[in-house]
Amino acid sequence: MSRTHRIGRDVLASLLSHKQRAFLMMLGVAVGVAVLSAVIAIGQGTSARVMELVETHNLDMIMVRAGGDVQVFAPTADRGLSTLFPEDARAIEKEIPNIDLISGTQNKRGINLVYEDRSAITRMFGVEPDWADVRHRSLVAGEFISNADMASMARVAVLGDTVAKALFPEGGAVGRTIRVENEPYVVKGVFTLVGSTSEEDFDDRIVIPYTTSARRLLNRPFLEQIVMRVTDTSRIPETAERVRALLRVRHNIGQGRPDDFFVREPQNVADAAFRTPKMLFSLMAAISIVALIGGGLVIMNLMLIAVSQRTREIGLRRAIGARAADITQQFLMESLFVALMGGVVGVALGLIVAWGLDAAGLVVSRITWVPFVAAVAACTVVGLVFGVQPARKAAQLDPAASLSGRAA
Amino acid sequence: MMIEVANLTKTFRRGTVETEVLKGVTFSVPHGEFIAIMGASGSGKSTLLNILGLLDRPDSGTYLLDGTDYSGASDEDRSAARNRKIGFVFQQFHLLDRASAVRNVMLPLLYAEDGGGDGIARAGRALDAVGLSHRRNHLPSELSGGEQQRVAIARALINDPRLILADEATGNLDSVSGAEVLDIFRRIVEEGRTLVLITHDREVAKRADRILTLGEGRILADDDIRSRATDARPGAAPAT
Repeated sequence: MSRTHRIGRDVLASLLSHKQRAFLMMLGVAVGVAVLSAVIAIGQGTSARVMELVETHNLDMIMVRAGGDVQVFAPTADRGLSTLFPEDARAIEKEIPNIDLISGTQNKRGINLVYEDRSAITRMFGVEPDWADVRHRSLVAGEFISNADMASMARVAVLGDTVAKALFPEGGAVGRTIRVENEPYVVKGVFTLVGSTSEEDFDDRIVIPYTTSARRLLNRPFLEQIVMRVTDTSRIPETAERVRALLRVRHNIGQGRPDDFFVREPQNVADAAFRTPKMLFSLMAAISIVALIGGGLVIMNLMLIAVSQRTREIGLRRAIGARAADITQQFLMESLFVALMGGVVGVALGLIVAWGLDAAGLVVSRITWVPFVAAVAACTVVGLVFGVQPARKAAQLDPAASLSGRAA
Repeated sequence: MMIEVANLTKTFRRGTVETEVLKGVTFSVPHGEFIAIMGASGSGKSTLLNILGLLDRPDSGTYLLDGTDYSGASDEDRSAARNRKIGFVFQQFHLLDRASAVRNVMLPLLYAEDGGGDGIARAGRALDAVGLSHRRNHLPSELSGGEQQRVAIARALINDPRLILADEATGNLDSVSGAEVLDIFRRIVEEGRTLVLITHDREVAKRADRILTLGEGRILADDDIRSRATDARPGAAPAT
């Protein structure tokens, strides 16, 4: 056992035999850590919730539709407007910042699908490989369209849940060959069920590579939509405006003339969804920092008092061979241990509160490893920082004077 | 020699007031001697003991502890020497009040170079030596004053030091307990250790081999009393 190890054990034994003093010392830190860990749990729950909202409502997506009239909802029929082209998508990608992913898309209703004795009529989307991420669509089986599929104009398809169930009620669609408008396509993947919304059935879809759609199926280059995902949602209005300006230039639209496209950006729901929890989060984070500092000051002051009360003990320890450095170490460890004990109690308290508020439906919280790590880190810092002064005071006591009680 | 002191001086300053506590003290103590240092309060005996115990440094003069001069040594070396070579026994006992007898006795092992090996066994033997093995798990508050001082002596002995410094070790004890403690001291000396006992009580000092009388920061008398163990007239003239 090393010297430090022995001193550590002695400090623990001493704290255990002074439970009341240790309890009072750790109380402040416990409160601080409780608030901190509750804030983290609620913060993480809330941001997970916001992410969910972003994904289900595509709050991080800008969509450009062909045609100049305002269309808040999707058009109910194919319109065959030839105003948007793949080159527009490439230009946006190249020239406008804050665009993370982008895909041009073609689509057509009334596409005929056949597998063995089953058939379905659905809506076809010809898309680029980024499309699934832009629209937050995940797969239950297989893979999404790749760059290789694009390059080779591959006859591959990804099926929506409704279509997959219609053609393959037993499952096992991936790898099978279906007929799309009488041409053979290999099923490459199946989308996760989205669930129907009032607007339309997002599961009633077949998705194929854009190149296949443009060259083999529809025989036309123009797009119905360009969809893009932004990096920073707070800059959506500015980004949408730049897209609009770029397309007007590219489409040679003179001043005073209307757009021949429509840029749809998500409503301000996104902002609101982010702002409220962010404010609450900052407020509570500030409270927890104040509480932690308060807890540290409690430890420091109680330790300074303890150093005065324990002057004779310090003198004795010096007499029996403790170096000044050992005394420093003893008091630093004491404040560190007390702070860490406060941390353990605080994390438990805070997470119980976060869980309780969640159960009561007041907040959304999520409990991960983060509050534990944060508590250990915060308590280590608090324990060491606020232990330094008492430890130095203890170590600097004159051994002879403190033994006789004159140094107090 | 266990202790060799020459021309020690020490002055304390409190504000502008200077108090010259030691004004040139010279003496030596051979290994295995039991020496009592007597003097009225303010005679400088506590200051001298603090210097002998490496708890304080003299302003001038030399002090060799077991042949080694620690006056310029680091805190680390002086602390190690206190731990290994010196055992302290105080008037106030200075036991940790929430720790059992055995934990109190083990305390010096915390700061020992080797960690003390099997500390509990060693503490047990040390308590045995002072006749307290049946009290090992008692708290100081559950022990009598004499028993507390015997725990403190066991603590002083645990690192097997060559020198024991006792500061008014019987001052807070009734005469029976005081006599027990002095018996233990005598036994410690018979084991070959050197013992320096500070006292203002002539009856207590008479149990030593030699009495050094301190006054006004100087040595007033240095009596070897082994040969005339009954000569104990109060204020006996120095026999130098």
